[in-house]
Amino acid sequence: AITAKSDCPEVEVPVPLFFTIGVVGLAENFLVVVAVICNRNLHSPMYCFICSLAAFNTIASLAKTWENLMLVFAGVGQLDQRGSSETKLDDVMDSLLCMSFVGSIFSFMAIAVDRYITIFHALRYHNIMTMRRTAAILGVIWTTCGVLAMLMVRFFDTIFIMTCFIIFFLISLVLIGCLYVYMFMLARIHARRIAALPTSGSGALTLTILFGAFVVCWAPFFLHLIIIMVCPLNPYCECYRSLFQLHVVLLMSHALIDPAIYAFRSAELRHTFRKMLLCSDWR
Amino acid sequence: MSDFHNQSQASARRSDYVWQYEYYDDEEPVSFEGLKAHRYSIVIGFWVGLAVFVIFMFFVLTLLTKTGAPHQENPEHAEKHHRPGSCLADNGSPQDENERAFSRPLLPESRSFFHFYISEEEQGQGKCKAEDQGGGAIQGQRARNRLGGVSSSGMEEMEEEGEESEERQPLQGLVDEGKSDRESAFLSHFNIPNFVNLEHSSTLGEDDLLLCEPSAMLGSQSRSQDAHRNIN
Repeated sequence: AITAKSDCPEVEVPVPLFFTIGVVGLAENFLVVVAVICNRNLHSPMYCFICSLAAFNTIASLAKTWENLMLVFAGVGQLDQRGSSETKLDDVMDSLLCMSFVGSIFSFMAIAVDRYITIFHALRYHNIMTMRRTAAILGVIWTTCGVLAMLMVRFFDTIFIMTCFIIFFLISLVLIGCLYVYMFMLARIHARRIAALPTSGSGALTLTILFGAFVVCWAPFFLHLIIIMVCPLNPYCECYRSLFQLHVVLLMSHALIDPAIYAFRSAELRHTFRKMLLCSDWR
Repeated sequence: MSDFHNQSQASARRSDYVWQYEYYDDEEPVSFEGLKAHRYSIVIGFWVGLAVFVIFMFFVLTLLTKTGAPHQENPEHAEKHHRPGSCLADNGSPQDENERAFSRPLLPESRSFFHFYISEEEQGQGKCKAEDQGGGAIQGQRARNRLGGVSSSGMEEMEEEGEESEERQPLQGLVDEGKSDRESAFLSHFNIPNFVNLEHSSTLGEDDLLLCEPSAMLGSQSRSQDAHRNIN
């Protein structure tokens, strides 16, 4: 057989870049988690969801960095790539990654719903979104993701899982998009009535950033999954697949920019960070 | 995930789609003969489509905003409504709305209202405007504090923002909101437009807990805050 010298060679991303993105993402998100847990002022539903998102991103960065480490060791020859324990570990890490992706999507949805309730059911917000319910929602999210992770470890080789994954992604994309656009449009009506809109383009920009980052970072990877299923032999599809590592880098960088979009927007959280990092009188 | 990729690429070539953990290169190379279009056409098409989508979304959202309020294209018009320096949005003309705000028993939930008026903090619309927004919210909040409509325990439930703890102190009067930390504390809770729905009738119906007329319930409450903000 002719050795496959494809016209679309796989684009390799240098390992240091992977490591940098992984470690920075890990540090950022872990800081967010610690900040939310330590600061009592941040024990509110919205921050709990942001903390959960950051926790999932931490897991994703951790798993990806660890996998990179293992690949580096395997490349150097320290690890046997086909050893059963290595493949099992690889399985575990891939499922951790999938679990954290699913979890972060769930967290996005929870944040969007929380914002929706904050705006449109403001007067009853504290009755609707009690801390107990928040804890219950987070429990459900984490349990689902844990179960999903275990299922994936077991049944990673079925195409059913991937199809579910993709459908889940598309549905949640549409849901989140609709929620935010709906909120935005109703906010526009309000703006019209008060006849003064000091921040005219900023809402649009924020929404675009929020949603755009989500789509730009996640869609390439999911298109990759779709293409694997749909047209594995097509040369065009193969050229798309050759960019796989770039798409994974995009996915990881989403874990990096998530805190900037969600968490660091809050002055209280930034204040907590400053306190933590500068080790000034904490508490 | 590159293992995943290897494995999936290898096994995707098989008709049974069974994924096994194997790390060899493709045995059946994909033929690149006779490609009509550029080989990266899917990639290019995808990214172009994505970029168009994002830009389109941005324009649609901006257009939605611009076709909203008639005044917003006139920055001086809005500007001169803000008292320079003082971030107390004034209680000028919407006096009756203020009255209504004050006469209403403050529900604990409405505290979260104030977060709506928090726009993204990087607004280049002028610090004063931002201060006014924050100030207006704070003022209204403090006014409510003063009314004693909210018990302190009610306030304690609302630990949404750390900056709220600052507002638990008893009101002396309308304090100056010139402090940037308080202003920035108010800004940024919400990343999306800080406007509350006025006319969503179902919401209004459910939340009809206040003394004002039902149709203006949420609207008036928010309007009173906005009136604080937007010194007309």
